[in-house]
Amino acid sequence: MTESASKTADFRKLMDAKFERRVFSDLLVRIIGYCILGLMTGLLLAIVGYVAILGLGSISFKMFVTVGNTSTGGLANAIVGTWELVGMGLLLSLPVGVFGGLYLSEYSSRYTGGVLRLFVDILTSIPSIVLGLFGYLVLVIELNMGYSLLAGGLTLGVMMIPYIMRISEISYSNIPGETREAAFALGANSMQVSLRLLLVQARVGIMTAILLSISIAAGETAQLLYTALFNNGYTTGLTHEPVAYLTYVIWYSLNQPTPYAHALAYSAALVLVSSIFFLLLLSKYIGRGK
Amino acid sequence: MAVVPLAIMVILFSFLIYNAIPSMRYSGFDFFTSYIWNPGMFYRDPIMYHGVPAPYKSSFGMLSFFVGTMITTAFALVIAFPVSIFLSLTLNLYTPRALRRPFSAMVELFAGIPSVVYGLWGVIVLEPILLHRIEPWMKTNLSFIPGFSGEVFSGAGIIAAGLILGIMIIPIVTAVISESMASQPKEFKEGVYALGGTKWEVGRHILLRNTRRQIAGGTLLGTGRALGETMAVLMVSGAVVNVLPTSIFSLTNTMSAQIAAALDSAFIDATGMNISALVELGVILVVISLIANLAGRAIAGKAALRGYEND
Repeated sequence: MTESASKTADFRKLMDAKFERRVFSDLLVRIIGYCILGLMTGLLLAIVGYVAILGLGSISFKMFVTVGNTSTGGLANAIVGTWELVGMGLLLSLPVGVFGGLYLSEYSSRYTGGVLRLFVDILTSIPSIVLGLFGYLVLVIELNMGYSLLAGGLTLGVMMIPYIMRISEISYSNIPGETREAAFALGANSMQVSLRLLLVQARVGIMTAILLSISIAAGETAQLLYTALFNNGYTTGLTHEPVAYLTYVIWYSLNQPTPYAHALAYSAALVLVSSIFFLLLLSKYIGRGK
Repeated sequence: MAVVPLAIMVILFSFLIYNAIPSMRYSGFDFFTSYIWNPGMFYRDPIMYHGVPAPYKSSFGMLSFFVGTMITTAFALVIAFPVSIFLSLTLNLYTPRALRRPFSAMVELFAGIPSVVYGLWGVIVLEPILLHRIEPWMKTNLSFIPGFSGEVFSGAGIIAAGLILGIMIIPIVTAVISESMASQPKEFKEGVYALGGTKWEVGRHILLRNTRRQIAGGTLLGTGRALGETMAVLMVSGAVVNVLPTSIFSLTNTMSAQIAAALDSAFIDATGMNISALVELGVILVVISLIANLAGRAIAGKAALRGYEND
């Protein structure tokens, strides 16, 4: 009897030791995880906070209303140009994305859908500088647009297509089949179902896709360097007239020697990051139910 | 409308390859083995070589950029991989439910920061810290590791570019891994808890084991993103040419950054050979990043579909 009691005690000791080790490794992973989470939070605050501090210290109201050339003046032309370029990009990518997504979700067969989706995926994996090179070769040179709103905007649009197409495709597919059947049962044809039912039902998804793609496009530089170049004033024409944009100011002014050029870069970064974060959070807020 | 991406891709590839042909004829195989990138002398008469005109004394070799791309991407993965794994585990196991959404939204905000802003932060904040504190410390204390002994030039270089790239790809890698961890069936986790398992044991035996494919796929997607990243790397890598890195402190350059940096002066070349060489560089970059991206999508995507079936 004493033997079995000591055996039980031994077993208990063994289990206790094992239990302690297991609890300890759990604690260790938890601590490392919390540390990394804290580190990332700190890093985000460090990056955004630093941009905010530098930007707030150098921004002035005058910058919003005067045009600039990356070392003197303001940011008005760059701000306007950024939205002109993004708007031009949307003009291409919105119809292509929304209706392409509709086709992928509703009309395509398994095989054609797969092939077309593959090409959308390929398009997302083209590095942005190569898209810029493509825009330069095809739009600027071959189609003779020059450095222009059209060339820069279309290059941005090419980049925005996959985001809008895939996200809107998902939001069409999420609409229950019964909704379509109900519409067909009421005598609607497939065009009415697509345009008056699916587009309306998927509007939240499409809206988040648009906001997301705008926020990505507004922060792009590499595609625009050799398609939009830079302009010291406002851009009014479509072709043969370069466009100013914020990311160029950040990149170029930082290499300038004068403090005022640096102030321009910091202010541009502040304007850009705050508008992008606003768009991203807005798209999160709109799509919160999903 | 869904055919538009296909059409764009066809036009893109045909234009790129058509424009790369002169460079392929001029440089031949040397393009892959040489690390000298010399635009040539634009004011001398161009020479004819292999039937194509090129500036006098020009030579194009992608090796230094290729090596730089690979080293900085590898560095970025070394940073991003463990961080993303631990982030996903923490978000799925230890974070209180109420904080889960804010924290994953925070990780996504990293993806929203434009690459020039990362570059700006790298130049102003990271480089001075690296130059004055971290790199001297590494040099004195870690020089026994091969590649850690060398001249500290400036804060820019492999470490800065790798760090920034690592931070930039964390959101995408984390999103893929965390998403697939969250979609693991509740019953699996409950089974481990019912056996008296700790949270880490759920993480190790269920979350990590069942998402190995998505972890690999997500990492490949991050690799693809790091390969093509341009502006941030251009700003913090030092953007040197004709230099192969000798240590981890070396300045470097990548294929994408070289295209952005050199296209400006390539326009002056009347023979067009400089542009053609950059296009060839772009074609190779596209091929590499396509392989990484499509492989990642294929690996993670199939497993994601399987996850749907198990749901």
